[in-house]
Amino acid sequence: MLWAVVAAAAVALGWQIVRARRTVATLEGRLESASQRLEALQQAFSRFAPAAVVEDIIAEGVSARSEKKEVTVLFADLKDFTALSERLDPAQLVSILNGYFARISRVVAEHRGHLAKFIGDGVLVLFGALDANPWQANDAVHAALAMRAALADYNAALGGDGLPRLAFGVGIHRGSVVAGVLGSAELMEYGVVGRTVNVASRVESLTRVHGVDILVTDAVCEALDRRFRLRAMPASEVKGVDAPLATFAVEGFETGGE
Amino acid sequence: MEIAEAFPGLAWGECIVQPTSVPPAIKAEVKKAIGVVPGWVDRMAANPWLVRAFSRFGQKRVAHVPPALTDLITLVVSQDNSCRYCFGVQHALLRVLGYDQGYIDRLERDFHVADLTPAQRAALDFARKISRANPRVGPREFAELAKHGFTPPAIAEIAALAAMSVFHNRVATVLALPPEALETMVDQRLFKMLRPLIAWRMRRQPVPPEPAPRSSDRPCAAVVAALDGSPAAGAFRDVIDDAWASNALPRRTKALMLAVVARALGCPATEREARDLAVREGVGSETIDEVLATLGSRELDAREAALVPFARDTVRAQPEALQRRLREVTNGAGAETILEVAGTVALANAVCRLTVLLDLC
Repeated sequence: MLWAVVAAAAVALGWQIVRARRTVATLEGRLESASQRLEALQQAFSRFAPAAVVEDIIAEGVSARSEKKEVTVLFADLKDFTALSERLDPAQLVSILNGYFARISRVVAEHRGHLAKFIGDGVLVLFGALDANPWQANDAVHAALAMRAALADYNAALGGDGLPRLAFGVGIHRGSVVAGVLGSAELMEYGVVGRTVNVASRVESLTRVHGVDILVTDAVCEALDRRFRLRAMPASEVKGVDAPLATFAVEGFETGGE
Repeated sequence: MEIAEAFPGLAWGECIVQPTSVPPAIKAEVKKAIGVVPGWVDRMAANPWLVRAFSRFGQKRVAHVPPALTDLITLVVSQDNSCRYCFGVQHALLRVLGYDQGYIDRLERDFHVADLTPAQRAALDFARKISRANPRVGPREFAELAKHGFTPPAIAEIAALAAMSVFHNRVATVLALPPEALETMVDQRLFKMLRPLIAWRMRRQPVPPEPAPRSSDRPCAAVVAALDGSPAAGAFRDVIDDAWASNALPRRTKALMLAVVARALGCPATEREARDLAVREGVGSETIDEVLATLGSRELDAREAALVPFARDTVRAQPEALQRRLREVTNGAGAETILEVAGTVALANAVCRLTVLLDLC
């Protein structure tokens, strides 16, 4: 009788141990899977905000971190796109626009830019916002030249399909901004605010006045590699800036082979 | 965890340098330093200082932190840097040393939830921050480690171990070193039988503290002095001296590459020193200013014009992009030069990360 009780107890204990092990294995599996998802999420997030902000959000759900930093802002806008949008079929319009955005996004990533926002047919790109970047002005202007080349390729493809060609204006300015997580509980994004952003947008508008595609301000120009070929434009009045604004058209970059 | 599982989607190209015959003296030197002659020796034999540096840092001799921590730091930093080669070797080494596979898996998935003491976790966190340098660690991180009982020399040693891993990771990544045979060997029956004996031979022992070599007139003297008391000081001193003495690349080119990495990582002390080194090698101050401001100058020769922006790329980049860029900038160069480029950028990255010690010591 005693042996039977001992045997039954041993079986019950063994069963409990097996169950406990299964539970531990299941929990470990879940933990590992959650951990992998978190890691993937952290990596994905780091494309949208600086590492310190991502860590704040993961740890506390929010980030109150805001800071003043020096960034280079590139603002690109399609010329006459509103008129074009009235002529084209909506599906065609969206397809053309998305093709353009895809090419621009690729170029921006290749040149260490952060595509902060699509604004209608315009794009706002930041250099030096996510990581400190001492060469942000050079990166921005190289990106603008690569965008010019990408747009030329795209236009060749559009022309081949009998579709209208696109033209853009790019304005680049460098200066101080306040960067942080902006928005409401429903919609938040990492962004920058300040006069520098407005000036970049105004400089982009000046491309129409001067009849060029890429314009940079003095603040960008003074940080640029001397091998960029620039042409001074007449200083122009712009909204929000006291003195007439000096700008330079970017013509190209001298490589060894040129 | 399988290696591929640790790096989903990672592309790792063909090794840029071909294996060559290794002079017996080099083989003997490596064997004396680390006990074996791994596959990387065949690939790096064309540039002896890099062979010595790779094995010297591979010794990971420590006096102030538990020796077991060195392997954990190497694993975590290598994984964080997506160095498939170093991670594979370290993963295999932990198995040779007898670490439980489940323990290694948990460590690799997320060391924050692995079976570690709070002090170990803090040390790994610190080492990863040193490696990432984004942002650079500051007094808060030092205080955090001190809270867990690490003394200033131990903290300096953890930083040195992370910097050594950064060096290994950069060299292995830019060259795309192929996996070592050890990775598959650990699963062989005979190896499993002999494993306890091998582990006993390999187990790291702490070594007594060593004074930093006196070197005020040599490159990077301040950062070496900051490691005073640790055997890591001597390792860094020897590697830096060897790198500077090697002539596969002109010294002025190496100084400019160091200055660029320092500027990218926000390290003014090393930038000043690199600038002085470049001036001593005949580079004009205005040219250095221009290079640091724009990554280019008409005063640079064609090779420098390619290598200076490449140095910047090595600070933060994915393996595939780095490997492609090294091929581009060394197109047509011989193995000795390619290895010198890899070693120079790797050492610059390691030293500039280690200079956080100068701000805090």
